[in-house]
Amino acid sequence: MLPFAYEKPKSLDDAVKALADEGAVPIAGGTTMIDLMKLYVLQPPKLVDIGGLPGLGEIEETDDAVVFGALVRMADAAEHPLLKSDYPALSEALWLAASPQIRNMATLGGNVLQRTRCPYFRDTSYRCNRRVPGSGCDAIGGINRLHAVLGTSETCIASYPGDWAVALAAFDTEVDAVSRAGKRTIAFADLHLRPDDHPERVHALKEGEVITHVRVKKTPLGKASTYYKVRDRESYAFALASVAAALVMDGETVKDVRLGLGGVASVPWRAREAEDGLKGQELTPETARRAGETAFRDARTYDHNAFKVPLGVETVVEALMSAKTRA
Amino acid sequence: MTNPTPGASRREFLSTAASAPLVAGAAAGVLGGEARAQTTTGAAMAGGQVLVTLKVNGQTHRLSLDPRVTLVDALREHLGLTGTKVGCNHGQCGACTVHKDGVRVLSCLTLAVAAEGSEITTIEGLADGDELHPMQAAFVQHDAYQCGYCTPGQILSAVACVKEGHAGSDAEIREYMSGNLCRCGAYVNIVAAINDAKTKMGA
Amino acid sequence: MAELPLIGEGAPRIDGRLKVTGDARYAADFSVPNPAYAQLVTSTIARGRIVSLDASEAGKVPGVLKVYTHENAPKIEGVPFFGKGGQAYQGFRPLQGVEIKHEGQIIALVVAETLEAAREAAFRVKATYEPQTPAATFGDGGTETEVAAEISKQHTDPKTGDADAALKDAAHVVEAEYETATNHHNAMELYSTTAHWTGDHLTIYEPSQWVYGLRAGVAGELGIPQDKVRVLSPFTGGAFGSKGTVTARSALTAAAARALNRPVKLLVTRAQGYTTASYRAETKHRIRLGADGDGTFVGFVHEGFELTSRPDTFLVSGTESTVRMYGFKNVRTKVSAVRADRNTPGFMRSPAEVPYMFALESAVDELAWKIGMDPIELRLKNDTKTDPITGKPFTTRQVRACFERAKELFGWDRRVAKVGAMRADGELVGYGAALACYPTQLAPAAVRLTLEGKGRARVQIAAHDIGTGTYTVLAQAAAGLLGVALDRVEVELGDTNLPAGPISGGSVATASSVSAIMKAAEAIRLRLATAATTSNDGPLAGKDKESVVLKDGRLVAEDGTGEDLTDAFKRLGVGTVEEYAEWLPDGVDEKAMRGLYNGSVKIVGGPMQDRTQFSFGAELVEVRVNPRTLSIRVPRMVGVFASGRIMNRMTAGSQVLGGMVWGVGSALHEQTEIDRRYARYVNDNIAEYLVPVNADIVHQEIEFLEEDDGEVNLAGVKGLGELGNVGTNAAVANAVYHATGFRARKIPIRIEDVLKSHLV
Ligand SMILES: Cc1cc2nc3c(=O)[nH]c(=O)nc-3n(C[C@H](O)[C@H](O)[C@H](O)COP(=O)(O)OP(=O)(O)OC[C@H]3O[C@@H](n4cnc5c(N)ncnc54)[C@H](O)[C@@H]3O)c2cc1C
Ligand code: FES
Ligand code: FES
Repeated sequence: MLPFAYEKPKSLDDAVKALADEGAVPIAGGTTMIDLMKLYVLQPPKLVDIGGLPGLGEIEETDDAVVFGALVRMADAAEHPLLKSDYPALSEALWLAASPQIRNMATLGGNVLQRTRCPYFRDTSYRCNRRVPGSGCDAIGGINRLHAVLGTSETCIASYPGDWAVALAAFDTEVDAVSRAGKRTIAFADLHLRPDDHPERVHALKEGEVITHVRVKKTPLGKASTYYKVRDRESYAFALASVAAALVMDGETVKDVRLGLGGVASVPWRAREAEDGLKGQELTPETARRAGETAFRDARTYDHNAFKVPLGVETVVEALMSAKTRA
Repeated sequence: MTNPTPGASRREFLSTAASAPLVAGAAAGVLGGEARAQTTTGAAMAGGQVLVTLKVNGQTHRLSLDPRVTLVDALREHLGLTGTKVGCNHGQCGACTVHKDGVRVLSCLTLAVAAEGSEITTIEGLADGDELHPMQAAFVQHDAYQCGYCTPGQILSAVACVKEGHAGSDAEIREYMSGNLCRCGAYVNIVAAINDAKTKMGA
Repeated sequence: MAELPLIGEGAPRIDGRLKVTGDARYAADFSVPNPAYAQLVTSTIARGRIVSLDASEAGKVPGVLKVYTHENAPKIEGVPFFGKGGQAYQGFRPLQGVEIKHEGQIIALVVAETLEAAREAAFRVKATYEPQTPAATFGDGGTETEVAAEISKQHTDPKTGDADAALKDAAHVVEAEYETATNHHNAMELYSTTAHWTGDHLTIYEPSQWVYGLRAGVAGELGIPQDKVRVLSPFTGGAFGSKGTVTARSALTAAAARALNRPVKLLVTRAQGYTTASYRAETKHRIRLGADGDGTFVGFVHEGFELTSRPDTFLVSGTESTVRMYGFKNVRTKVSAVRADRNTPGFMRSPAEVPYMFALESAVDELAWKIGMDPIELRLKNDTKTDPITGKPFTTRQVRACFERAKELFGWDRRVAKVGAMRADGELVGYGAALACYPTQLAPAAVRLTLEGKGRARVQIAAHDIGTGTYTVLAQAAAGLLGVALDRVEVELGDTNLPAGPISGGSVATASSVSAIMKAAEAIRLRLATAATTSNDGPLAGKDKESVVLKDGRLVAEDGTGEDLTDAFKRLGVGTVEEYAEWLPDGVDEKAMRGLYNGSVKIVGGPMQDRTQFSFGAELVEVRVNPRTLSIRVPRMVGVFASGRIMNRMTAGSQVLGGMVWGVGSALHEQTEIDRRYARYVNDNIAEYLVPVNADIVHQEIEFLEEDDGEVNLAGVKGLGELGNVGTNAAVANAVYHATGFRARKIPIRIEDVLKSHLV
């Protein structure tokens, strides 16, 4: 790590003030931050430790939303009875992620902002447009088995590695943020930025802006939802492909459906067209597979990740068929 | 077995003993006026030192540390508590698992300064005097290790796994112990040890 | 002499308490006064030259004491490569010039007051290179292929009969190519070196499975006498072959400590461990295996290709094992070395057998399907009592018994002999089998054994406990032979102040150390027995001294008469008897003992003059495959092994259980990814280099068969540490074929390979 200043404010207000300093960044659980600082991928001059701030550690139910404080630990959210019963995809996406120790440390706010695991991003000796704009992308033409097939650009093919955000993407989610400029609400779909011309910009937060809450609009889709994750080993591994599926069924017919895709895209991915195609259809492995194929129609593959297309399609089938058993 | 006496290096004893006045001075130089008060509340300038009070296994230690010092390095290199191991330094193996306020966490991804005010338990603090914790005893009984390097982390993780209520079935134990790699591959014996200890732990 | 049981008691480890309390002291746990911290800087190119190395920014980091580069590095003599009789993991010494021979080569060593400063400064060292295009692996332009038999004195290609002619006439032939991936040991304990000088005397704390080798290597590199160096490694946090040879860092750290006049502690990162120490190189195999109509093997051709570095020829030559597995009548083999711009590979748990047996045991399975025979049946049909190459008998070979017992434990008879025909819980089910083997090898060993009249004993030997249970099994041996209780035996290991023990490699440690202990114990018994039987009085007076043994804290004759140890010692007029013994395996001359002390290894075994000695086992696995995503799990593994005398059923069991976990890793997870453009390891960590986690290993059942093999050595002990992970990879691959019809000729088996096969 390079030297940094460290401050542990006692209130959100103080945190926002402290974050106004040039280059100051928040650190919550630290599981992404410290990891990447040790690799010199992140070199913040100042850390503002928000991990212990009061008031942001609760999960609350309002009339129309489930509201997650940004500092709720992944482990606590995973165990929350409301999620287990009414939004199983949101619980599963958490306990299938990382390890128990990491889930005890990591916060929900930090979780959605975790960085890609692209090895060329994580090692400063390689070229990476995301790390050093304009330097090139060593993943294109390199080892890109774990990389994205959706939402990539000529400048960056890194995948978004997280799980929970994929489940969030399947629901109507918003993020509340605060900075010295005041409070605002960001649609979840707008939080993560596709690489396009500026792969170094990974999220829409302004400098010094802090996520305070993640709000998921209540929906009957929650009950029959699931998060299905395929990985190289049985646990403690990132997704090769994952799907958050949520259903409202009318008998055998799909009344409403949501599909979030993970491990295959540059950002938490919502497969809207695939959803549209399924609505009004009978849900069978065949129609589910067609939805999967629609979801991956625009996939662009590289030397080692072409398998993510058929794998992703089959993962959509698994997730939908398993969600159906809950409908 | 040769097992020479553990202990912090001499430098640590010296610096620990002398830390308070030295750091206040140094920090004042860097921070100046109003920020100075922050040195005692866990704030630090880049390149400065920070006074950290760590509570480890019921004992309070006052250290003057570079804010970059992680909890595992503070334990091992500054306090001589080398029972906590390092297998990756990046959150990938679980060897550095400790309890922070009763919860299992990775000490390699925790800044020492961020652990201030928390109760840290390491493998050295688990036994009750000479009497091993039931989990420790079960690891011996079931040969739930080979080289023993992952063992402190496994044991702390296992104790937490039981306390969390995640030791209900073999499958659940396996899943909730998957954050601790064992390269020697002692997994089935680890599961057996946890099953054994959990009853003795009253779970 | 008192008899040791064929399958020893499953006594809990005597070092268990230290391990569960955190009191076991691994190398980096030793405290030294006022240490400085060191970090390595490694090259980011694989081939070329350093044009400039700018350490000015690094030097400005507060607390930095010194940055060593090729311009100011201490002169290191360089000891020979291990494969050439030296101790070094690679012949090439970094930091002695501008040349870069592989990625991650050490280009600087930073020493600072604190770990944090050392780390920061290491990052700030900036190198500029003149790079050349490297060759990364098989098939790359610039690799050089050489025939092993022509370039290596140690290597011969075993052959017998005329395999090619026999294969022409064979009723069934399998002809296939197999590949195994690059693997790294990834012991949980990271590499480190702490060097502490007191005057001209150097103490090195470093995780090691060969402390005498490390001592010789470091002394040689520094140009100082070996007796000025002490190496300590009482506990080693996993080794698997990675900590047996001397890497460049040790002498560098020691030289820095000498120059700076203070102890230096070097901590190597996991990523740096991938390139500054050894690994298992990728291999390729061309197999031709033929049988006549009833399944009798008639010909076997095994051609192996192994990757090695430019400067060093490291070969595992696994044909030496595969040709001995069945009653092949005609055999032809050939091993080739392929040189690329890589660090030098080295030993990794069952170095030869893991890749080579994968090829053979997969081919046997393929042949069984071709013939339409049960794959275990086919193996048993071709079992042999004699070594097909030398014609000499196997000392013991319980292949049939292993398979039969394994089948029973596994429920092999439930197997439906059709691809894709078995299902459970919506998943495809496959059964797979493979033969496990490991040559029984031995090495010279010296030991000091002490027995006190009060019934306490001590074993002192510079052997190592790398997880193998050495502390415990040596204590059990001493306890059994000296007739004292286990908890009264103390064992000291991993210290060059002790008598020289064997390298913990090639599965020689237990057999060799126990053999030495037997020799010393016999000397102790004889001293006491002679005194007791030749004395004028006492219960043993006049008895045959050969009939008197140490048992239950007493010296007793066959008829049960005897006396307490205290009395026997009184007769000798001493409180303690100490014997130093040197043991040499069959056919090893006395010079080898000097060599052992000087850090040169002599290992003998496998095929011998008059016999061939191996351990064997049968491994059966079940896989489950998701029919949609085709992801693979291994819910069940059974292993039955016959490996001579088992000193401790529990620690032995742990070793083969762990070995099978390695086998799952080899089959499904482990692959070091190489970016061929740069010849660089890309997943040089332990999150993306996948090893099995707890959830991957569901049910394991193992058993040892009794085996009394008096021929291998006095103790009848064979090696165990490497047996368990041989064949497992093939068993998994064979099971995947049974479940899906996909034949994995390349490991690890990845989801994309299976998917591809199902798509086309
Ligand atoms: C070995 C390993 C395996 C993992 N496996 C998985 C996995 O399988 N699935 C998965 O989903 N994740 C996985 N993770 C990632 C892990 O879940 C994230 O690191 C974690 O969720 C991040 O949360 P944190 O609180 O620790 O964030 P921090 O590290 O504290 O912060 C992460 C980022 O978010 C910013 N930030 C944090 N909180 C806020 C806030 N409130 N407002 C604004 N910005 C903020 C920080 O500035 C930083 O940029 C793994 C991590 C490791 C190390
Ligand atoms: S050392 Fe902390 S997880 Fe590996
Ligand atoms: S016991 Fe060696 S790593 Fe677990």
